[in-house]
Amino acid sequence: MLVDFAVVRRAQQGESAAFNEIVLAYRKRTMGMISRLIARTEDVEDVAQEVFLRMYFSLDQLRAPEVFEPWLYRLTANAAYDYLRKQRRRPEFRMSDLSEQQVMMADAAAGGKAEHDRQQRKKLREAVDSLLGAVSEADRILLLMKEVEGLSLRELEKIYRVKENALKVRLFRARQRVLKAFEAAERKSESG
Amino acid sequence: MYPTQGGDDKLDSVWRAYRAACPDPEPSANFMPDLWRRIDSRRNFTFSFERMVRSFVTVAAAVTIAIGVYVSLPRATPASEVNYLEALAEANALDTPDNVGPVRLELNEPGR
Repeated sequence: MLVDFAVVRRAQQGESAAFNEIVLAYRKRTMGMISRLIARTEDVEDVAQEVFLRMYFSLDQLRAPEVFEPWLYRLTANAAYDYLRKQRRRPEFRMSDLSEQQVMMADAAAGGKAEHDRQQRKKLREAVDSLLGAVSEADRILLLMKEVEGLSLRELEKIYRVKENALKVRLFRARQRVLKAFEAAERKSESG
Repeated sequence: MYPTQGGDDKLDSVWRAYRAACPDPEPSANFMPDLWRRIDSRRNFTFSFERMVRSFVTVAAAVTIAIGVYVSLPRATPASEVNYLEALAEANALDTPDNVGPVRLELNEPGR
């Protein structure tokens, strides 16, 4: 826990200072998680604020301060899920849509190693985002929480309130789908 | 075709690279003020909505009571207390049927 249980209790009683303390303690971690779940840096802060907004209005539903972290993870997963669902209806311009030559030209125009690294990271994010298109938004979030965030099955069980075996089956299927998409993409890049 | 073991390892390395490519971003200086603005805006909206619902419920209750009182009030005119059958019987009393009145006998017929 990044804050004491007492702070959570005070926030539940409506104390603004305690709420601020929680946000300040958790916002960076939450934003990091969101950036990896949604794979877009430009909307991370907006989604993170939505998480804390929901937290503010539903703190009274938290059973006990001891389960605060899994509860916050659940709020984060739900906000990311809502964002991804909305985003699916909005096609957007992507670097991966460009040809290799266009990317090189964009890199040259941007100039500098830092910019080159930034573009590489962006390309990787987009590639992973594209791979995750093989699974539903819900499975994408579950898979990323396990594989990228490194949450254990026990932790996921608390977040999702689902039995471990059900989670294992779902994770296995989602991973297999992404793996197939990954191998297909690899074959495509090798032949092309 | 089933995914291969090599593919599994490569996918794990993709996850690791992805994790490294997405470090925790720094929140902007406006994070907290913007958050509180959103909280206040949602709170005001909720408050206005609650107030509107409460007003609507009050008006609906007042109208219901008014209708109830109006329906239960005794009517001022006595005619209204008489039901349809009573009114019909009164208009067509059996002891004075207008179609069976006394026969008029004309003894002195004019022109005879």
